[in-house]
Amino acid sequence: MDGAMQEDWVENARMIVDSARAIVPADGSLDRVRRLRAKGAGFERDVMAQAGALGLFLMRVGEEAGGLGLGLRETCELARVLGGGLVPEPILSTILAGRLLQGALPETVAAGEAVMLTAWQDAPRSLDWQGGLGGGRLSGRKVAIPGAEGADLFAVTTAAGVAVVPADAPGLTVTAEPTLDGGRLGTVAFDGVEAELLPCPDIGAAIGEAGLVHCAYLLGLSERALAITLDYLRVREQFGRPIGSFQALQHRATEMKIEVELARAAIFATARRLDTGTGGDAARRGIARCRLRASSSTMRVVREAIQMHGAMGITDEADIGLFVCKAMVETGFFGGAALQRRILSDLLDQGDAA
Amino acid sequence: MSTDYNAMSDADFRAMVRAFVEAEYPADLPRYALHRLHWSEVKPWYLRLSARGWICPTWPRAYGGMELTAGKHLIYIDEMERHGCARVNDIGPVMLGPLLIKHGTEAQRARFLPRILSGEDIWAQGYSEPGAGSDLAAVRCEAVRDGDDWVITGQKTWTTLGMDANWIFILARTDKTVKKQAGISFLLVPMDAPGVTIRPILNLERDAEFCEVFFDAVRVPADHIVGAVNDGWTIAKALLGHERVFIGAPRLSASALARLRLQARAGGIWHDPAFRDRYVTLACEVEDLADLFETYVDALRDGRPIGADVAMLKICQSELYQRISDLGLEIAAETAGLGEPPDGDIRLHAAATWLSARPTTIFGGSTEVLRNMLAKAVLDLPS
Repeated sequence: MDGAMQEDWVENARMIVDSARAIVPADGSLDRVRRLRAKGAGFERDVMAQAGALGLFLMRVGEEAGGLGLGLRETCELARVLGGGLVPEPILSTILAGRLLQGALPETVAAGEAVMLTAWQDAPRSLDWQGGLGGGRLSGRKVAIPGAEGADLFAVTTAAGVAVVPADAPGLTVTAEPTLDGGRLGTVAFDGVEAELLPCPDIGAAIGEAGLVHCAYLLGLSERALAITLDYLRVREQFGRPIGSFQALQHRATEMKIEVELARAAIFATARRLDTGTGGDAARRGIARCRLRASSSTMRVVREAIQMHGAMGITDEADIGLFVCKAMVETGFFGGAALQRRILSDLLDQGDAA
Repeated sequence: MSTDYNAMSDADFRAMVRAFVEAEYPADLPRYALHRLHWSEVKPWYLRLSARGWICPTWPRAYGGMELTAGKHLIYIDEMERHGCARVNDIGPVMLGPLLIKHGTEAQRARFLPRILSGEDIWAQGYSEPGAGSDLAAVRCEAVRDGDDWVITGQKTWTTLGMDANWIFILARTDKTVKKQAGISFLLVPMDAPGVTIRPILNLERDAEFCEVFFDAVRVPADHIVGAVNDGWTIAKALLGHERVFIGAPRLSASALARLRLQARAGGIWHDPAFRDRYVTLACEVEDLADLFETYVDALRDGRPIGADVAMLKICQSELYQRISDLGLEIAAETAGLGEPPDGDIRLHAAATWLSARPTTIFGGSTEVLRNMLAKAVLDLPS
């Protein structure tokens, strides 16, 4: 890649991040996040509207289709900022819908007036997205959709393309269960729902990319959790000294830092490779690796964060707990670590054949 | 004036290095060796590199080096590694040369640099002592001024390939009345000076890769000091430009992983899901490290400063290398402790890999010392 392109993405990412600051409070306040817990669908429509107004849902829509045509690095930078603020709005799900639908993304969705979420996952612990069709109509179910009850529309992936269906379509049922972070994880069931299927040539690739972008959300989460924990280590005193002066904790804190840096390097290097033409098995391998690293480093950080906060770490009162709960809810998205290892293991044999 | 290699394209430079290595690396030298070779073995390779003008890739051209940029240097290293070239006795080219160029006198440069380039002088590093390992500034080996000489008494240890060297540079205590870092000087000592005694130390493979060096009232002339008296600590600490990054290169881990793969195939467990689960995790860790390493290489290429956080690389690389070697030893099972490689194939010798991985977390800044430093300099945690 030449220097100009490099600067392009850095500049684009800076603009995106600046705009995302409108959603993530500059002072790092988590009051809104805290207040939204266990309320309604788990997110605010106003903030989705704000995101739409900022053009975020058009990031992965090509310029020729009226979008911003931005790359994965920019999208990852956005996700990282959102993760640092524990933003509960399903912005990444709508960005995926834009990536899938391109020019067919409804204007109301792009503008943030209507909420569209992507319903792609056929079952937990799986990356299958081809299901959901039967007799020319939508049937079956899609799982693991945060905020599903707040959607006006769903972009549903099937083997025959992507269907756009209103949430109130006859035969469509949304159910949801509360999650530890105060959100709700939804399932959409279809019973012979009529839908028009829009062709999409690379649904699997788009979902893979979304998995990578979500890694960056986890990265932002872990970076912030680490920063909060380091602050605590500097001020909390025991035995007449800040506990951050104790070598046992210092060494563990450096390990947290290393985990975060490895995740950051892996995610952005993989995003760069995908942005610059890597696809197929190499892309799948890179994404699975990032999922593995992001989930393990995030859990490592929050586990240590709890321990270093002492009993405060297991209270609802301390902000660090918000990060712990979000990590528990989201590190298992996109199939979880065991699935990633299986994918990587299968790809070893593909490599052998090549 | 010698060739300006940096004017070449990366691809041309790589092709040139590769062609040279493939043609000139001595056929009877081991490739991909896990242990250090001695001067008696590796000398022909040193001399061929020297004859080509390639023994000192980072030195300025004015002093007989290649003056490679970080990017070109990385390619140079890459190609050496790719062919499995044995590491030469490189303390002179890597450590002393750059130090003399920066801190030495013109007379010292004129005297010592050509002899490093030609292979006439092989240098050893005399830093560690029995009582000064991680706490290097605690060195006690003493140099006392007597007329026109320094008189050196004390002991150095863990001197890698010290038995091959005809010169050693040491950190010696020259002032006991000040803060320990402020009373250390950097001295050059011929190994054949009266009063120098060398005793090899056998490692766990019963190889003598390092040794102890004893100094019993050894006299060297006053001009054998580099930099100012009592400035040795500062000089020694400023060493290692690119090396601070390259010490964390993923290549040791990557090659250990490749050996693990061969070993798993040979042992018939390559398709065992329990093994694979762990293998793919380690393989991912190697790639993650490679991605992190690349961010520092980019910084070197762009001429951006390298911060204290670069120590993370060395911690990652050395610990990962060890974890990979742990799995190799584990799957070797009953054959783990055999002294010779299975089927004579060193790549299948899990014990050799495991043992070669041990020093990496100890030397070049132990993992614990690096973590102490990171905690303070990077994480800003209190003392």
